[in-house]
Amino acid sequence: MFFKDIHIRMRLFFVIVIILFLTVISKVIYIQVFEYDKLSKLSSDLWSRNLPIEGNRGIIYDRNFTILADNITTTSLVLIPNQIKEKERAIKELSKIIGVSEEEMSKHVNKKTSIERVHPEGRRLSFDIADKIAALNLEGVYLVKESKRNYPYDKNLSHVLGYVGIDNQGLSGLELQYNEYLTGEYGSIKYFSDAKGNKLKLNEIYEEPQDGVNILLTINNEIQMSVERELDNALSKLNPEKALAIVMDPNSGEILAMSSRPNFSPSNYQDYTLEEINRNLPIWMNYEPGSTFKIITLATALEENLVDLENEHFYDGGSVRVANAKIKCWKAGGHGDQTFLQVVENSCNPGFVALGRRIGKEKLFSYIDKFGFGEKTGIDLNGEATGIIFDLDNVGEVELATTAFGQGVSVTPIQQITAVSAAINGGKLYKPYVVKSLLEPETNSPILTNEKTLVRNVISNETSKKVALALESVVTNGSGRNAYIEGYRVGGKTGTAQKVKDGAYMQGNYILSFIGFLPADNPKVVVYVAIDNPKGVVQYGGTVAAPIAKAILEDCITALDIKKSSKGTEKKYQLWEKKYVTVPDVTGKKLNSVKGLLYGFDVNYTGSGEYIKFQSPKAGERVLEGSKIRILLGDK
Amino acid sequence: MKKIDYKLFIFVVLLSLFGILMIYSASSIWSEYKFADEFRYLKLQGLYFIIGMIMLYIVSKVDYRKYLKKANIILGICFLLLILVIIPGVGTIRNGSRSWFGIGGMGIQPSEFMKLGIIIFAAKYLSSNTKEIKNIVKGVFPILMVAALAFALIMLQPDLGTGAIILVSIIGLLFVSGVNMSFFIKIGAIGLLGLAMLIIAAPYRIRRIISFINPWTDPLGSGFQSIQSLYAIGPGGLLGMGLFNSVQKHFYLPEPQTDFIFSIISEELGILGILIVSILFIGIFYRCIKIAIKCDNLFGKYLVFGITFQLAFQTLLNLAVVVGLVPITGVTLPFLSYGGSSLILSLISMGIVLNVSRDT
Repeated sequence: MFFKDIHIRMRLFFVIVIILFLTVISKVIYIQVFEYDKLSKLSSDLWSRNLPIEGNRGIIYDRNFTILADNITTTSLVLIPNQIKEKERAIKELSKIIGVSEEEMSKHVNKKTSIERVHPEGRRLSFDIADKIAALNLEGVYLVKESKRNYPYDKNLSHVLGYVGIDNQGLSGLELQYNEYLTGEYGSIKYFSDAKGNKLKLNEIYEEPQDGVNILLTINNEIQMSVERELDNALSKLNPEKALAIVMDPNSGEILAMSSRPNFSPSNYQDYTLEEINRNLPIWMNYEPGSTFKIITLATALEENLVDLENEHFYDGGSVRVANAKIKCWKAGGHGDQTFLQVVENSCNPGFVALGRRIGKEKLFSYIDKFGFGEKTGIDLNGEATGIIFDLDNVGEVELATTAFGQGVSVTPIQQITAVSAAINGGKLYKPYVVKSLLEPETNSPILTNEKTLVRNVISNETSKKVALALESVVTNGSGRNAYIEGYRVGGKTGTAQKVKDGAYMQGNYILSFIGFLPADNPKVVVYVAIDNPKGVVQYGGTVAAPIAKAILEDCITALDIKKSSKGTEKKYQLWEKKYVTVPDVTGKKLNSVKGLLYGFDVNYTGSGEYIKFQSPKAGERVLEGSKIRILLGDK
Repeated sequence: MKKIDYKLFIFVVLLSLFGILMIYSASSIWSEYKFADEFRYLKLQGLYFIIGMIMLYIVSKVDYRKYLKKANIILGICFLLLILVIIPGVGTIRNGSRSWFGIGGMGIQPSEFMKLGIIIFAAKYLSSNTKEIKNIVKGVFPILMVAALAFALIMLQPDLGTGAIILVSIIGLLFVSGVNMSFFIKIGAIGLLGLAMLIIAAPYRIRRIISFINPWTDPLGSGFQSIQSLYAIGPGGLLGMGLFNSVQKHFYLPEPQTDFIFSIISEELGILGILIVSILFIGIFYRCIKIAIKCDNLFGKYLVFGITFQLAFQTLLNLAVVVGLVPITGVTLPFLSYGGSSLILSLISMGIVLNVSRDT
């Protein structure tokens, strides 16, 4: 009886033991099955170390897949301090090879971290240096692939492309704007380590890096290079403060080329100021456009049927009274009697004041708005300016008059070329853009494509045709003749604008511009060139900017394979005939006061000063229009 | 002389050999790092095993009834050793406890001897006082006082785990010896009170309890071992990482060959390893209980049951700690954890049980 009780309690004990064992086993199964994912992830974070491998940054192409920005593969030094057994040797040899002091290297080698980069000396190593490091065969010393951004055309298109920093992060331009797309995803070599950081002999896991998205631009690199070359020439010949040029497809708003001076080399961005790098002048600068703005006035007058260009006459007496102000024509003495077409050809200010009055301020300013002035064009680039247009309530007689010929308003080059494109392409205002599509990195198939965006219809197709033909005659007969190209129907308009500083016009400081396009009967390309304050040259858009635009247009003909126009399409738009003119008397006069008289001559200045001491040929001689006149400058 | 229980013997040998294998796997990295010899713990445990097997053989030949007469002396020696070990200069400190007599790299833990000694004494006491045992004051109280004294001495080292094993195994013996159930309820209440006192005395224990409830609150401090143990069990999954492939033994889990050997087994062998260990242990306990029940001698019955209870309690306490069911107490896993005194004493205990088995 006594034993029986003992045995019952012993068996009870054994049952409890079994139950407890089952509890423990259940708990283990619970951990291994239900907490497996969580614990595996946590422990994997604890056990594994990653050697990061960079994905390639996306390539930037021009429209014909010419590479504008790609990558050069380099190697970088990566240390895993815990794995370095021969610390002394590592410090000595590595410091010698990459040129760091032993003290500095010792800090890297002994740092309490899982992965250490020697920055910046150990980054982007050349192959022979990498070879030397590899030859050391040091444990815990790794060379990982790292790519370096490469711009094969150096300064070419620099403001649009932008640049990247040491970690390949976009810092300006498209590199910044599309950084998220361009940046690849890091891959890694994941290896397991013990708690002391030593590498374990478990399999390494390789996670492939993902390359960034490629970008296809609307830019035509052939034209871009032409623009760069012409701007460089302008820079060396004219020594301007700034210079810029834009080439656009008027039928879509695609930017074919865009550049400005000063520019910069993206690979050596450290050598430039932030202003030089960040100011993309074609979209950032805004200034009085001058006569190129007359195209807007012309288009408005034509659209509203307020003028008959060929049959209506206008007499320019050299100035016009507006309210209490006297507005002078740029040509001393005026142009005399002209048709309105000649008003356009001659860029006659009083003639445009007359047109402005016919239109009236409400209409004129509503068309200015419709052409997109006073608001951003919405181009897909950072840093676009808005420009300044008079508030309609503040527009009086004088403001209406000056606006009609392009003074008192402030516009950006991109607004200018976009508006003029609309004026000549059949009246459609397109949003300008530079990114054609984003491409999948493996196959270059488009992920996202930008289509042309019609902002609005501004003028009718007929009006647009008339504007284009009028501007063609500016090149054949008028102030734009320096842009004439044999066999092509070129249209264009010059612009000469005084710069404004502290609310007053600056003396002898101009922005000279030209906007040209071809073929005039079916425009394929528009070029805008502006040169800010050139030195040693007659300050007219027609003499400074037009030849540059012509050179670019000639390259566009080749690049875009534009065919010659069949001759004699319209009789009156023939090649401008040579005329003889009388040399004016300018000796002893102030240079600024005789600018108008010297218009149309190829003036060659020597000496310096404000007064003309000598001229050759002498006054009264008959010479071919456009002949050379040598002038010696000096003080009174 | 009748034959010993061979089933029990085989279970014990298998479990010990499995332990040696896993100790090698778990310790090789630390061993290489500390002693530049990855086999050091393997060799030592192998040596202890051989010594233990010799002792087991000898003890299995010694008639257990002899312990009945020598029980008081054995207990006395154990108490003497426990007192000596807490004297600074005599005992050496390891892992924060002054619980060792150091001899070179090896050491003897007198508390391990006390575990067996007090079972022998209690078996004698209970078997020769069957009448008084119904009287709490006259029967139960004296043996409890002896256990409490042993517990107190061990707590001076301090070593809560071993102390608790001693105390609880005496209570377990009292349970089978027919003490009224109401007594155990009272004991439970006193135990809780005692636990509260212990926590007040040493605040690190409350941190252990908190870290048991949520080890992630202090992952680098008190929760560290629990988390590292879970990191071993979890990612191993049901199939395990394969023998010798534990990651956690690479310095993540401190001393993986001792208290946390079970988590390394789980990491490397998965559920299979857990089942091997459980089946071997259950087999041992089953054979032991069977021997206890078959034994006609009350002293032998109590002796075998006491040893079995103690082993089972220690085993389950260790497993419960490792899988996170119970706060960390610092108890080794019998036969499997590295440790000379523990393995040899466990084998000697088994020798005693095997000797009793000859009687059945």
